[in-house]
Amino acid sequence: MVDATSNLTPTQRYAAGALFAIALNQAQINQTQPLGIPAAKDDDEECENRRSEDRKSNSSSGDSVSDDPGLWVHEKSGLLRPVFRCLDIQPSAWLGLEETANSSPAKHHIGAFTRLLSEEASDASAEMMEQEMALAKAADAMVHSIQSSLSVDAKKEKHQEYENECREKYAVPEVKSKDEDSDKDKKETAETESLETGVVIIDGSHKPEVVEDDKSVEEVTLLSHQRKINVLYELLSACLSDKHQEVKKCTRRRKGYDARHRVALRLLATWFNIEWIKVEAIETMIACSAMALQKSGEMEGENAQSPTNTWAKWKRGGIIGAAALTGGTLMAITGGLAAPAIAAGFGALAPTLGTLVPVIGASGFAAAASAAGTVAGSVAVAASFGAAGAGLTGTKMARRTGDLDEFEFIAIGENHNQGRLAVEVLVAGFVFKEEDFLKPWEGLTSSMERYTLQWESKNLILVSTAIQDWLTSRLAMELMKQGAMLTVLSSLLMALAWPATILVAADFIDSKWSIAIDRSDKAGRLLAEVLQKGLQGNRPITLVGFSLGARVIFKCLQTLARQNKTVFFLSELVERVVLLGAPISINNENWRDVRKMVAGRFINVYATNDWTLGVAFRASLLSQGLAGIQPICIPGIENVDVTHMVEGHSSYLWKTQQILERLEIDTYYPVFRDIL
Amino acid sequence: MGSSSGQPEFDYLFKVLLIGDSGVGKSSLLLSFTSNTFDDLSPTIGVDFKVKYLTIGEKKLKLAIWDTAGQERFRTLTSSYYRGAQGIIMVYDVTRRDTFTNLSDIWAKEIDLYSTNQDCIKMLVGNKVDKESERAVTKKEGIDFAREYGCLFLECSAKTRVNVEQCFEELVHKILETPSLTAEGSSGGKKNIFKQNPAQTSSASSSYCCSS
Repeated sequence: MVDATSNLTPTQRYAAGALFAIALNQAQINQTQPLGIPAAKDDDEECENRRSEDRKSNSSSGDSVSDDPGLWVHEKSGLLRPVFRCLDIQPSAWLGLEETANSSPAKHHIGAFTRLLSEEASDASAEMMEQEMALAKAADAMVHSIQSSLSVDAKKEKHQEYENECREKYAVPEVKSKDEDSDKDKKETAETESLETGVVIIDGSHKPEVVEDDKSVEEVTLLSHQRKINVLYELLSACLSDKHQEVKKCTRRRKGYDARHRVALRLLATWFNIEWIKVEAIETMIACSAMALQKSGEMEGENAQSPTNTWAKWKRGGIIGAAALTGGTLMAITGGLAAPAIAAGFGALAPTLGTLVPVIGASGFAAAASAAGTVAGSVAVAASFGAAGAGLTGTKMARRTGDLDEFEFIAIGENHNQGRLAVEVLVAGFVFKEEDFLKPWEGLTSSMERYTLQWESKNLILVSTAIQDWLTSRLAMELMKQGAMLTVLSSLLMALAWPATILVAADFIDSKWSIAIDRSDKAGRLLAEVLQKGLQGNRPITLVGFSLGARVIFKCLQTLARQNKTVFFLSELVERVVLLGAPISINNENWRDVRKMVAGRFINVYATNDWTLGVAFRASLLSQGLAGIQPICIPGIENVDVTHMVEGHSSYLWKTQQILERLEIDTYYPVFRDIL
Repeated sequence: MGSSSGQPEFDYLFKVLLIGDSGVGKSSLLLSFTSNTFDDLSPTIGVDFKVKYLTIGEKKLKLAIWDTAGQERFRTLTSSYYRGAQGIIMVYDVTRRDTFTNLSDIWAKEIDLYSTNQDCIKMLVGNKVDKESERAVTKKEGIDFAREYGCLFLECSAKTRVNVEQCFEELVHKILETPSLTAEGSSGGKKNIFKQNPAQTSSASSSYCCSS
């Protein structure tokens, strides 16, 4: 089969499709069974129950993929077959691939398919090899340009300022108590720890090396770097393609970049030993060529295009290819490339693409361009970018819903309109002034398109200030001096009665707190609505929030879970979630369902000494568990104990950044680094 | 392979692997067995998979049959499919002598190398007996080979459907007679070999858990 639209031979595409299928299935398994955790020895009853439950929810009695429509690799999910189709894998081979993906042990299949992928095909032309190389070089250059746009030091400095400022203002009581009563403190801490015997805190226990031992596939060394890049490029193009023939009864309703695809690619990149930033570079390359091509198509006024024609054109050209073909000179490239991008309002794109040229040279660029152009991305995704920025920032839904006074996305960071294929939404929940919605996130280096959600600032500031006032009050100071607060917290955990003094204090906060809780629930529902409408441009989203912001995210996921329950749990929107100091009951909520709405990592960050949260959340609920101060015992949720890092609830304002850095959310496996 | 509802129950699930040179008729044999049809098939890409339900005696069986590509370029791939197979069918073409000699030169060695199941049942099948005039491998040679390697033997034709069902049924009978294999394939037990849902085989969950 002669195929001019790919840099890979049919056999290599088959292997690539297989690896992707295996990665997709593994990713689904890792949703409830994260890797790198040693299996427990004893089978207690609880786990036994859980297992049978999982069996029920995950698979029916049959063992073939076709028997289990809940699987991501099942035909109905609409995740795999369109990718196979775009890779031009013969339909007769699809079933075998799906079954292979779901047959154990995966490791041996990964090895075998990787070997198949690495083999130098005799029918690979010199031209293909050259293009493969050129594409890899272009990706490297793109990585360079992404990295250079991140001015890390300046940001760090700025954040340090903010941290100092906050610490000065809000951290007084906690810090003091630590200084004065360090002895007592230690003693009490030990006590709380002993209360939780049986808790295995994953802090630091997830060493990436362990994972590698378990997972590394030696065959990967056989693969050349450019082959890996090309495989990822083709797979991503196929994922983004909107050439999905309407599959009947397919549960996937959305076009665009599915979060589950991104998680699978992340796992695949991990197997390949490819840094994630390279995949992000590939994402950007595809996005750019897709956008530019779409624009050029519009300008030529080719309205009467059938979808197949468009697709054929994608494969043939992409504007990068077009530019290279028409001119091959720098002028032609920038002219052809930048003009439509600028015209479309993507002025920022021009420099991104422009930086590629000097690095790899004009002829190199031409080669890369035609290589990249052979497998360009999709109209569906490209079209969504333009709307995306305005889509999120334009969401001022408060008036429409009436329940909320404020609900607004604010763009932060410098990655907007840069053709980024992932979105991050950051939600603060313990704020003293409006800028606290922005500042905690500003120091983060991330290559995602980032937004903060500013919501109900009046109510949040009220409740935060009330709590802070109480903390700095004489009564609280006194209690803290006696080290009473940690005792309070331990008694809360054991569902004992509260000391009367605390009850009085809690009453003081209560009314404001319950309003804030109510608003966070509503904001969560609204966020779910925004995501379901695809205002983020049908791109995978990462949600990070602390305090009441974490509750917003949880409620959002809960809403999604409720609405999607009938058609299996579709984790197509949300890629990753990080909850910090979350005021959410553990036992009263269905965490299991919520977990299923997230395709990738789900992290609960808690501090056992966060008694502010305990006091605000009230005893009645505490006996049911509280996510912000305890681990959540649901398989698939990473629990990270940051007790030693935070000094109190307000610490999340300035510590969140550091915690996130240590979590390395771009890593596929659970990670929490001990040192930075 | 119906939907999850109305799925017939089964007592045993067995994994069966088809190997042999390219063009000997592995896919045709499988197609003939699963859907009673014969067709000119293009070479298999990688692996194919089919399910067949059988009732033998009182026992309801589900056969998961993996049909591997015989082509050289997919050779590396097949190695990972040997694991956990309870039955392996080696197919050769009675009209092509090289496909028979390759069994001892290549395929029997592959089995020794990759099969994880000591007791796994092997079966030698000579296909295309409908082309009697072109025969290049005698039945005697087949029997001798089978005796030497300790495997079952049959000659069949996917085209005329002669002996096709017998192939699989004899294999399954033999598997059922082997206690270690039936234990693995029993659907009641947790040791479902395809069950890769680690939720059931390991309990990482408890390492996360507070003891309740």
